[in-house]
Amino acid sequence: MEKKLVNTCIALATSLLVSTTTASYASDCPVTGGTLVWGHSETTQNLYVHQTGTISTLRILQNIHDGLVTTDQNLNIIPELAKNYSLSDDGLTYTFELRNDVLFHDGSKMTAADVKYSFETIMNPDTGAVNKPVFNSVDAIETPDDYTVIIRMNEINAPFLGRLAALGAGAIIPEGSANIQGEAPIGAGPLKFVRREFGNEVELERFDEYWNGPSCIDRLIAREVTEPTVRLTGLRTGEMHLINDIPTDRVEEIKADDNLKVLSWSHGVFDFVNLSYGFEPFKDERVRLAIDYLIDKEMLLQGALWGQGKTAASPGFATSTSYNNELKQRPQDIEKAKALLAEAGYGPGELKVVFKATTNYPYHVEAAQILVEWFRMAGIELTIEQLTWADWLSQVWVDKDFQMSMMNFNSIWEEDFLYYSLFNSTGGFNYRGINDPTIDELTEKARVTIDKAERAEIYKEVQQRVFDKVHDIVLWHRNSSFGAQKNIGGLDTLVNADGATYHFDRVWIE
Amino acid sequence: MSYVIKRLLSMTFTLILISIITFVITNILPGDVAIMIMGTQSNPEALANLRESLGLNDTLFVQYGNWVLGILQGDLGTSLLFKMPIGPLLLQKITSSALIVALSMSVALLLAIPLGVWAAVHKNRWQDNFSSSVSIIGVSLPDFFWGIMLILIFARALGWFPSSGFVHPNEDIFLAIKHAFLPSLALGLGLMAHLTRMTRATMTGILSQEFIRVARAKGLKEKVVVWQYGLSSAIGPVITVAGLQTGYLFGSIIVMESLFNYTGMGWLTYQALLNRDIPLIQATVFSIAAAVMLINLLIDLLYPILDPRVRLS
Repeated sequence: MEKKLVNTCIALATSLLVSTTTASYASDCPVTGGTLVWGHSETTQNLYVHQTGTISTLRILQNIHDGLVTTDQNLNIIPELAKNYSLSDDGLTYTFELRNDVLFHDGSKMTAADVKYSFETIMNPDTGAVNKPVFNSVDAIETPDDYTVIIRMNEINAPFLGRLAALGAGAIIPEGSANIQGEAPIGAGPLKFVRREFGNEVELERFDEYWNGPSCIDRLIAREVTEPTVRLTGLRTGEMHLINDIPTDRVEEIKADDNLKVLSWSHGVFDFVNLSYGFEPFKDERVRLAIDYLIDKEMLLQGALWGQGKTAASPGFATSTSYNNELKQRPQDIEKAKALLAEAGYGPGELKVVFKATTNYPYHVEAAQILVEWFRMAGIELTIEQLTWADWLSQVWVDKDFQMSMMNFNSIWEEDFLYYSLFNSTGGFNYRGINDPTIDELTEKARVTIDKAERAEIYKEVQQRVFDKVHDIVLWHRNSSFGAQKNIGGLDTLVNADGATYHFDRVWIE
Repeated sequence: MSYVIKRLLSMTFTLILISIITFVITNILPGDVAIMIMGTQSNPEALANLRESLGLNDTLFVQYGNWVLGILQGDLGTSLLFKMPIGPLLLQKITSSALIVALSMSVALLLAIPLGVWAAVHKNRWQDNFSSSVSIIGVSLPDFFWGIMLILIFARALGWFPSSGFVHPNEDIFLAIKHAFLPSLALGLGLMAHLTRMTRATMTGILSQEFIRVARAKGLKEKVVVWQYGLSSAIGPVITVAGLQTGYLFGSIIVMESLFNYTGMGWLTYQALLNRDIPLIQATVFSIAAAVMLINLLIDLLYPILDPRVRLS
């Protein structure tokens, strides 16, 4: 099923590439028109794309904005608002040639000045842009003519294009529009913003002058329904055409319903168990290895997630060329774990560990409860502390005050962002305090390695190293899902390559 | 008049206290809005910048002082998380929730008073038992049970009402009521049970009193005796309890709002707390407290009109 989905996506991405030169591809809409009602699982926040770091809000915004570059379904960087781009031999100068047929929702034509404005606004510290670090090595942005943008770097930054294609960093907004974006975003994407009834719904409508052909639907209503059962009811009563994030224990039930269908995919979110290097026993590699041997990942997946996922040994995107397919998870082996613990000097009952799980992800708490028993069998006393999201963020993430925890990440497909942030000793997401010179060296090297294949190899080594040294215990790639009425078509085009954001312009209502 | 002024003064004092307590408590809680905004996308540098730009680095005195200054100028500030002015947001959510509170109170009173009176008149007979059973079921089952049942029956099976969502009264009052009806009914049923028991209790007390016997002895019709003489004396305590229950309604509305995805005051308060959005927490708690106090004041003022024996001083 997943493979099929990926294949269709590839086919579609190819067809997109080919059709970029024609003004419209409305012909791939079997039916045009109608209002699509989507039960969205989250509340949207600040609508200014460059100030917003949350995926939930980006899910809406990525329909309003197009970026300079984007990715195909295999996460290769391809042009979007740029017609093409090139990189100088010294790796320091990016030249983008822009499309000359792009209009913003306010009717103005996109030119190089808008690109310069968008990026310089991100770089301005006063904006408080989430993606500011993406532009850290940008020296100057030049616009020799209306449709050419030259970005000069002060050092080689191989991940730059990838970062531009991720998380809305490369979204182009009209010059001077920064102060209105928060409440009424304007972009050059397929759907334009109509209104937001705060906490209730966001309405978008078709942008007829969209450069890549108008959307199939007239209108999208994104109803913000955070309670999963309420979303399910909405789908069943027909008040909603489709809903995202079906609770894992209800997926089978929706699949069995003749009036409904399910779309699920397993790239995008991974879960892992974290061991803190601030906790003395976990500084010993043998203890970390023992913990890994205590966990039966497949059983944990069944127990905590109702099997809605796929066990994996690497946090990378399975669809990416840098994914290390050779890694295999360690099987559960309690005797081996006991021996390792004894070797490290922890006899039965001598190791006590506190597991901080956040109630924001109830299945983390359930997973921890399952672990308690396995740990007990190896003589480790595991106690669970349940934390609200705010508490977890401040204790575990910011203060690094924990021994053991569990977390999931989504949509981090760009390798530098993923591996550097998570595993480099200075990485922004390194809350476990990992300090491994080999990983530091590899992640730094990747930053200045322009050749794509060579970079991919480096990242494979990073994954290997994380696995060998048990810096983290990766559990699985979690399924994400959509439930939809039978009459909704084009679902295979819905999910972006990042596995976490959606675009609705090729979805239709029969 | 001096009574009203006295009450308003004490209300102001209470509200100041409430604002200080909320402010202190929310600041003691671990985590802050900057962390919530950035979530797991945060890094120390960005977090520090954000904290600075949100004014979180000021001392608590300065932060509270700024807030009070704003309030005195009629400015409730800006939500840190949603980057929107709080005033209009609050107004919108208060009116949506007020619709539910008013509707559920009406449902409760319209059902409870006749049922309670009926039970009192037929004390210890089957009518009384019936009314007691109804109210015991109402009291014992939680609101959300009614909510789920109503969704199953009226939204899923019959399709008469929407199962979730809301429309603002300013847009279309008919649709607004249609969306608010099921959550109001669910809340109203629980409330109705309390009020029925209250009506029955006061009414049986009143009906055994001298003046009722005199009224009957005068040869007045039973209808007049019960509904005019009896009820007008019994209604006072019932209305007072209903007033107190308004506070309870603002509390339980959070559950009902999330069950029906009716995003009103309860939802806004919950979001504010969840995300440590201090200006928004202040504003929501402050306005709910003010609303509850004002309603209670209003009911106290109504009391002498309903029952002339009562004088306010």
